Order: sequence, then C-alpha cells, then structure tokens
Amino acid sequence: MAAQPNGTADAPIEVSLIPTVVGINFGNSYASIAEGSAECIANEDGERQIACAVSFHGEEIYIGNQAKHQLVKNSKNTITGFRNLLGKKFSEIPSDKPSVSAPVIQHPEQPDVAAYKVQVLQAAPSPLPTTASNTPAASNAATPRSEPTPAERILTVSEVTTIFLKSLVQSAEDFLGKKVQGAVISVPTWFEDAQRAALEQAAEDAGLKVLQLLEEAAAAAVTTTTDATSSGLPADRTQLVVDLGASALELHLLSLREGLAFSRGTLSDRAVGGDAIDDKLIRFFAKEFTKKTKTALAVSPAGGAQDARAEAKLRLAAEHTKRTLSASPGAATCSVESLKDGLDFAGTITRLRFDMEVRAVYDAVLARARALVDAAGADLLDVDEVVYVGGSASLPGLDETLAQGLREDVVTPFTAGTVVGGGVGDPTTILARGCALQAKLVATLADGTEEEREVRAAFAGGSKWTQARATSKTVGMLFPEEGAEGPLGGQWIPTVLKDTAVPCRRTLRFDVDLGEAEGEKKVGFEVWEVKEGVKIEKVKPPKDEEEDMPEDGEEEEEEEEIEVKERTVEKENLLTALHFAAKEAKKAKGRWTTKVEVQFLIDENGALEISAWEIGASGRGEKTSVSVPAS
Amino acid sequence: MANVVDIQVVPPPLPASWAPPASTGKATAPLVERRLLPAGPAYLAHVKRAVHKLTFEEHDQ
Ligand SMILES: Nc1ncnc2c1ncn2[C@@H]1O[C@H](COP(=O)(O)OP(=O)(O)OP(=O)(O)O)[C@@H](O)[C@H]1O
Ligand SMILES: [Mg+2]
Repeated sequence: MAAQPNGTADAPIEVSLIPTVVGINFGNSYASIAEGSAECIANEDGERQIACAVSFHGEEIYIGNQAKHQLVKNSKNTITGFRNLLGKKFSEIPSDKPSVSAPVIQHPEQPDVAAYKVQVLQAAPSPLPTTASNTPAASNAATPRSEPTPAERILTVSEVTTIFLKSLVQSAEDFLGKKVQGAVISVPTWFEDAQRAALEQAAEDAGLKVLQLLEEAAAAAVTTTTDATSSGLPADRTQLVVDLGASALELHLLSLREGLAFSRGTLSDRAVGGDAIDDKLIRFFAKEFTKKTKTALAVSPAGGAQDARAEAKLRLAAEHTKRTLSASPGAATCSVESLKDGLDFAGTITRLRFDMEVRAVYDAVLARARALVDAAGADLLDVDEVVYVGGSASLPGLDETLAQGLREDVVTPFTAGTVVGGGVGDPTTILARGCALQAKLVATLADGTEEEREVRAAFAGGSKWTQARATSKTVGMLFPEEGAEGPLGGQWIPTVLKDTAVPCRRTLRFDVDLGEAEGEKKVGFEVWEVKEGVKIEKVKPPKDEEEDMPEDGEEEEEEEEIEVKERTVEKENLLTALHFAAKEAKKAKGRWTTKVEVQFLIDENGALEISAWEIGASGRGEKTSVSVPAS
Repeated sequence: MANVVDIQVVPPPLPASWAPPASTGKATAPLVERRLLPAGPAYLAHVKRAVHKLTFEEHDQ
C-alpha cells in the first residue's frame, strides 16, 4: 500500500453490492465469457470465440486459437476436445476415432483415468547466486544459465480443463480490472452427474466459484426472455433452439410461458455440425488446388502424411472462409501458404456455391427438426421463434433452409436483424450472455432465512422445484357471434396455452363491441378447452405452363401435388361461461364498446378460476367470477 | 403487479339468442409432468411463491 500522509483518512473503499460475476459458455470446440451486462469479453488476442485448445511448445503453453494453430506442426502436443471427456473414465472413452491432436492415454499411475502425454521443455533451475566468501575469484562471472531440459508431462483431462478455465478467467479479470467472484457455466443437456461434478471440480481447482451449471437450452432461454431482447414476441411462445456447433447438432423445443421455460423435447445428432461443413469445404478447395496446380491432393480422408498436413492447414483456413461467408453475402477466400509440395493456394467460394456444397448439412438440420417436433407431438408450424446457438448456426443458408418448414411469420434472429455485429441474436455469444444474466440473478439471492436458502437451492442440479405440472390443453374465451365464420362460431381468444406450468395466471385487457342498440348491454363469453392441430391439404399446383408440357399423358400423372399446411383449432370441452352487465359502455361512431379485464388463474392441481372486471374511469369495477374444478 | 396484456382483438356483440350455458360440471383436462429449466427471473418467482406459500396476489405485493 502506498504511504499515506499523516492525518488523512483512508479513501472510502468502493463496496459494490453486486459481486463481479461472469457467464461462461464452455463448448467442446470454443468457449466464450460474458460479464454482468452480458457482453462477451475478448481475450488478449482480441478473440471472443476462444478455441478450447491447450498446446505445449517448448517452455511455452498456448491457449485458445494460438494453440489451435499448433495442430499443423505440433499436433501431438496440442490438446483439444477435452470438455466432452470430463468426468469420463478412460475405459468409457471410445478409441475408434482417429485423433488429430494429442491422443488420450491411460494415466500411468491413476487407474482408469484419461490423460494426455506431452513433450515440454523444463526450465533449468536458476544458477545459484554467487557469494563473496566461497566463490573463487576466477569464476566470479555469472554462471551461464543452463539449457532447459526436455521432459514429459502427463496431464489429466481435469487438469487441462483447469488450465483452460484459469486462462479464460484471467482474460476476464484483465479486462474487468477486478477479481471474478463467481461464474455460471453452460453444460450440454446430456452431461451426466459425473461430468457435472468433474467440471465443477476443475473450475474450483482453477480458483473459480461455480454459481450454477446451466443447461445450454436454459442459457438460450434466459437471453431470449430478458425483456430488452424479446422483439415484440408474445411472452407465451414455442421456441426452437437450433445449436449447430462443431461436432454436433442439438435441438430443443422449448415452451416459454412468461419467461418460465421447459423443454418439450431434445435431439442430438453427432453427424451434423461445423466439422461436417469443413469436410465438404476442404474437399471443394482441395479439388480447386488440384485443378490449378495439377498436384494431387486428397483430404477428408487424407491420402497420406503429406495430405494430412495439408488437410490440417485447410481446416484452419476454412474457419476464416466460413466466418466471412456468414458475415457478408459476397465471395470468401481461402488461402494457405505452401499447401502441398511448396505450392501456395488461394481460392474463393461464393455463398451460393458454398450453400450448394453444404446443402446436405442444412437439410439434415431441417429433417432432425421435423423429427423432434414429431416426437413432441407438435408441428413445425407451432414454432413461433427460432433461436440459433453455436458458430455454425451463423450461416444464413441454414436459416433459409429451415424457413421452408416453418411458419411464414416465424421470428428468427435473421428476420429480426439481431445476428449482425454481435447483436443479441448472435449465435456465438448467446450462451455466454445467458450465463452472465443468470450469474447476476443467482449471485444476488439472499440466504438469511431457511426459506431463502431453499429458494437458492432451487438452482442447484436436480432440485425438486424443477418438477412441475403443466396444462395439457389450451383454454380460452369464446365470444359467440351471430353468423360467425369458421367452425368455432365466434371470436376465440386463447388465454392459457397448452404446456403452461401451474400455478399460473394470465390477465388480458381488451375492448368488447356491444353493438348499436340502446338499453341493457351484456358482456359474455364461454370458456372452452380446444383441440389444436394441423390440417394438411394436397393441392394441385396451378397449371400455367401448359404449352411446355409434353402431349402424352404420362407427365400429368407424375405431377406432384403440393402440401398446404394450416393450423386448426376445434372446440373440445365447454367448461363454463361468464357474463355481466356492462355499466361503463361508451358510444363512438354509433357503436357501444366497453373495456374489460379477464383473469385466468390455474392452481397447482389444475383448478381454474376465471374473473372478469369492467374497466371504467375509476379502474376495475365489480368482479364476476366462476370456477372449474381440477380433474 | 400482475402482468396485464393488452390485446387488440375486439370481440363482437353477443347474439340476441345467446344464453349462458348452464354449468357443465366438467373439470379441466389432466395436467402433465414437466421439468422446468432452473433459470431466469420467472423461475425464481415460481419457486419463491411455492417456498413462501404465496398466492399470485400476495407475491405481487
Ligand atoms: N461465423 C461463423 N460462421 C460459420 N461457422 C462458424 C462461425 N463461427 C464459428 N463457426 C464454426 O462453428 C463451430 C464451433 O461452434 P461452437 O463454438 O458452437 O462449438 P462448440 O459448442 O464448442 O462445439 P461442439 O459442437 O463440438 O460441442 C466450428 O465448426 C466453427 O468453425
Ligand atoms: Mg455447443
């Protein structure tokens, strides 16, 4: 501490009530870290997507994208893919996959523990300081520092994770200028207890306090339900989370109900992802290279050791190509110095061509999305919003492909324009943001009383409070109408949607048309449970190109019918009705109207209470209510 | 405070012939089991109401 002149009081220490907490998206390929205001922090190399790679080179340790670059010349000392191995025994790890980085080995001492063996240079012990008494004059010059010695280092998966997390947190602390006091870290849905425990331990070993391990889908839900970010979407909606990372596709169908979320289904596919996109892209460029240079090059799979080296270079370069393609509609380049036989490569690809090359990946995502909603007993038309997560979901071609199966008015970060410029819809930042928001929420929870501690514990893994019951039918108001169009016979206002966790409350306010007649006026509606579905109609496409058709009838037969899908609502159960006299009606342009407020309250057993008020100048008028018992 | 949603729909006048149906005696459809995602302020509010045994109205205050 600096010396203080006498008589001055210590400057008041700024004590912030909100601790410094961060959110960490810890993927298998990339990680990102966000602070309190949910912005992603760049590390000292200016990167916000930090490669989950740790590389040992002599005395140096590289972490992040620099480490990834070591995959070309120093692959056996470069460790990647460790996140997915956390908490796994050595015997549980499949060994069939060829590894482009340091292989996973059985730890030489600890039984059934997965580890890596890397070559390092150990710094030599510094020379002893010379002393006046026992040093002969002749050797008084500084002893030359001896060379560092080569050594072998064994690291467990947990130790690698600790090194990596420590460096992430260090970057954040350098940026914030403050010590990080806690973090929420994302985990995949399929992470088992042992994996969660191993991650928590590795974080603790890195000196990081884990506030919560948050499922990726939950992190996405937090980001997208935080007020500022939901772009005019209804608070009750169905969300499809499409997470296209490097090594896998993860899909989640979420029911969001005024911010309360649960998953109606999850699906993963390890064959779809950025790696599969890279395979196609580097094959395309290898062909280009051969065309230009007449030098044979086979990649993915590689033709030999030389081709394998070239493949590693192309993979690194493809990263840049893909990012350019998702950021702008023009063509993107891919250049590699000395790709093979000392020949440089510089190629370009347009977005159109790229989308053609990777079409199979996009189509697979759409097919899996269909399978997911099917399994959940829903339809793609039920999806109100698509949220993209993961680097590969930044590609606009994916959104264009999914649009083919979704409703026209579906909201995606591409339609909302929130992807660009690291906006809230940016798939590469969304998880870290959600974790940061959650960290703030959890860090400020009180724990003074028994109840407060119970509330806090509800955020721990496997808490009983996550068990909930939800409605199985949409319930709402039907305002009957003389000669109404459609099968319902009036104006339908869905109020509590199917798949809403109970207890719940919904309050709607709207004007009711009371007609032109003078005299007593009445507001009334029926309360129905409805059956929602999707109607598929096959229609013949309009025959407008008659002239071009061949004369024989054969083609006619093969003409494909187009499927037209439409959502439907049918009355199923009349539960009750409610009516009251309107006393505060106002007349405008010859018609009477009045404003009403209707509240639906469903208790934890499913019993429903409906209350209605007319809203006059002085607020809510007399209350009318009816109730429906739980089954 | 209750989250009141203003909607733009204006239901039509009741048909002259409409009489509120007599009590149907029906119950609501059975509930289904779900697992909530333990995240966000809405989950916190949900747990608080349950732990402190509060109704929506009491929790509003
Ligand atoms: N802007 C971008 N456009 C296209 N692809 C990108 C973009 N940014 C990153 N990627 C790709 O996204 C993938 C990484 O995605 P992400 O960070 O979500 O992976 P992860 O969740 O860590 O990995 P995994 O899916 O293996 O668990 C890589 O294949 C990377 O090349
Ligand atoms: Mg991921």
